[in-house]
Amino acid sequence: MNINLKTNFRRFALAAAALAVTSSAALAASVAVITPYLAQPGTQFYVEAFQGVAKEKGWDVNVIDTQGDVAAVISKIEDMVNQKVDAIVINVDPSQVQAGLEAAKAANIPVFGMDAGANPLLVTNVTSNGYAMAAETSTYVADRIGGKGDVVMFVFDAFPPVQQRGVVASAVFGNFPDIKILDKVTPDVSDGGIADSRAKMEAILAAHPEPGSIAAVWAAWDQPALGALQAIEAAGRQNEGIVITGIDANPQAREEIAKGGNFEASVAQDFSGIGAAAADAVARVLGGETIKQSVIYVPTKLVTVANAAQ
Amino acid sequence: MLKFVLRFGTLIGFAIILVVFTIALPESFLTARNWLNISQQLSMLTVVAAGMTVVMVMGDFDLSVGSMATLAGVVAALLFTLGQPIEVAVGAALLIGLLGGIFNGIMVSVFGILPFVATLATLTMFSGAAFIVSGGKTISGRAIPEAFGAFARTGVDIGGFIVPNLTIVAALVLVVTWVLLEQTPFGRRLYAIGGNIEAAHLSGVRVRRLKIAAFALTGLSAAGAGLLYASRVASANPTQGSGLMLNAIAAVFLGMTMSRQGEPRLLGTLMGVLILGVLDNGLTQMSVDSYVRQVLVGGIILIAVALGSISKTRRR
Repeated sequence: MNINLKTNFRRFALAAAALAVTSSAALAASVAVITPYLAQPGTQFYVEAFQGVAKEKGWDVNVIDTQGDVAAVISKIEDMVNQKVDAIVINVDPSQVQAGLEAAKAANIPVFGMDAGANPLLVTNVTSNGYAMAAETSTYVADRIGGKGDVVMFVFDAFPPVQQRGVVASAVFGNFPDIKILDKVTPDVSDGGIADSRAKMEAILAAHPEPGSIAAVWAAWDQPALGALQAIEAAGRQNEGIVITGIDANPQAREEIAKGGNFEASVAQDFSGIGAAAADAVARVLGGETIKQSVIYVPTKLVTVANAAQ
Repeated sequence: MLKFVLRFGTLIGFAIILVVFTIALPESFLTARNWLNISQQLSMLTVVAAGMTVVMVMGDFDLSVGSMATLAGVVAALLFTLGQPIEVAVGAALLIGLLGGIFNGIMVSVFGILPFVATLATLTMFSGAAFIVSGGKTISGRAIPEAFGAFARTGVDIGGFIVPNLTIVAALVLVVTWVLLEQTPFGRRLYAIGGNIEAAHLSGVRVRRLKIAAFALTGLSAAGAGLLYASRVASANPTQGSGLMLNAIAAVFLGMTMSRQGEPRLLGTLMGVLILGVLDNGLTQMSVDSYVRQVLVGGIILIAVALGSISKTRRR
């Protein structure tokens, strides 16, 4: 069960001798979770779920929050490598902490990504499948409009995780001969994305004044969906049956979906599931297994009026 | 005895901290690897704190160093995305630091605005500029030249130990700043301004010009630290330097408790930086909660400064 029994025993003996403060679980595997983003709600869900599994396994978990400081993540990885922990879990773009990952590799300490991004120096990265999320909402749209009508897409190709969503949605819509992509809009996101999406949508509505000329708005994330909703409501066209979908299911989106209006669906990532799956991956590696997948996907959940209030 | 404890309280405290960590972390604390790590982790703070010492010698402050560090990193990264070579990007970033510092100096010395207010305003300006330049995003990935990120990941083999490049840069900055402050007329005049600005002025010290030069150096060092940070994370985002300012000021204050008259000295600042860095390193390794760690570090700064000021009051 424990591959580092010998080192841990030695550590235990020394710690006891020196009356160390950290003697609590010297025989248990020690795992460090390092994140700059603990204050963000999603991250808290990951970490709590991770700790839940860790508790069952009896691990000694050290959660380190560097409060937005990415260089400090590298420092903490170095400190943990020096401390010879059994595994490290990070929740930050691995390309920015390359120096720390190299230090861990040199010491043969496995590093796991928790919604971090794929990197050859990570054992694996546990995250949601962006392709699958886009497939969920684009098929929802296609089904709702009966495979027929003009669709406005909001995309953002400069950011890879969002770009892949656009690719999938385009493929799904392209597979329906009677669905036409009316416009593919890249909103200006410098103010959060809602305001500019609203402005762009207003222009599109003005260009297509006949009721029914726009069947749906598919947005690659929630902000443009919210902006499009505002534009449709401001134009007084909320009763034309225009279907809007987003992705991420942020609180504002859930609120709108719960109202049962035009904004009909979004997709929620299972943050707790990601945390638990990351802990499972750590357990497998500590148990001597080799993980082949460089990315482990945790299923996401379609949010509609039926479950938006949850 | 009491006098001795008060006078050298900070150093004694530091020694106690070292002993505690050595006992609590027998396998990992007192190793060359760990100390090279610490020196590398502290390189950015060292550079900023050295620059901060220069203005604090005159009794001034620079609150804008953190956002200047950020701005410099973002500017360099932006130039990388435009295909500029490393020298150009680094040079431009340092120039921005110098100009920003001169601007601070002019606000303080020519317009006579309190440094606290002037640099609080430029803190906001530089930070806003960093957001404008970066478009609010993190600039990373292929845009950053491999050699730029590799600089922070490599080092020079000195006697069998790989001394990180970041550590070497910080050491050079320390040496240059020390010479400037302790061995040149420039430094002595800065201390004269800090001692009594009127007297310095009457005895022919060109206060305005010196203040501008001092702030320029502080801005330059802040930009340098920002570049080190950007190299370490091989990326730049518009908030990354924000933690540096308070720690730099704390380090100088800790250092001031160690000097005879309570004036900032560069070696004192270095001790201050080390205390902050060693506490952080040791407490992290002892799995002390991140937030508890912050409270502890703040408390230790207060105790040190309190002891220092008691010893000074008693002397009067």
